Amino acid sequence: MPSKRHSEESGETGIDLAPMLDFVLNLLIFFIITTSFVKAAGVEVRRADAETAAHRDDGNILIAIRPNGEIWMDRQQVDLREVRGQIERLHVERPDDTVVIVADKASKTGLLASVMDAVRSGGIQEVALGAAGSSGE
Amino acid sequence: MLDFVLNLLIFFIITAVFTKELALEVQRSGAVAGQKESGSIMISISAEGEITLDNRLVDVRAVRANVERLHALKPNYGVMVVANQNAQTGVLVQVADQVRQGGVENISFGTSE
Repeated sequence: MPSKRHSEESGETGIDLAPMLDFVLNLLIFFIITTSFVKAAGVEVRRADAETAAHRDDGNILIAIRPNGEIWMDRQQVDLREVRGQIERLHVERPDDTVVIVADKASKTGLLASVMDAVRSGGIQEVALGAAGSSGE
Repeated sequence: MLDFVLNLLIFFIITAVFTKELALEVQRSGAVAGQKESGSIMISISAEGEITLDNRLVDVRAVRANVERLHALKPNYGVMVVANQNAQTGVLVQVADQVRQGGVENISFGTSE
């Protein structure tokens, strides 16, 4: 019996949804604006430490190079020859994107140079080397 | 409509990535070993990770001091790092970091056979 009375009471009052809706819409707009759509590489690599590494807001295509020479971008393994085509496609989609190459500590610099050249020939000139901060970030 | 907006909100919260990449700015140079670029400090890295600067073998930790000295002598010079193809990337990043600590921001990078 008490539960029935309670439901009748709440049915009469009702909640004003308008302020909550405003708040939710504001949150939604905030998240739409701040989402940067980072193209993550999809693998873990051990980054080299660097004290002067700076945060880059615009580095949103990540290319990972593993110690065994595998190249990963956009959550899939790619061949060195595919990197250029992939970069061309991404560059057309979002021309402002820049590339961060995250090479494993033990990967070869020869491959790093080849990947860098492929990215540049794909049309993106701004290439940075990923590193870990000294504070372990 | 409220359901739809809430779903959108949840989608964006989940996909939002707040991590920003830590990275070092490095230029790419087409120069190969032996071809000394005019107006730059040469640092070479061997396949074994040995660092040669100014015709002397130096430790990674000594690169900074050397670059500071050379930078004071020739303030307009950039730094050219020529790494062997088989050198490890970790050494390259450490050297680039040391050079930046030494006050030179203009770093270019080439490889040798």
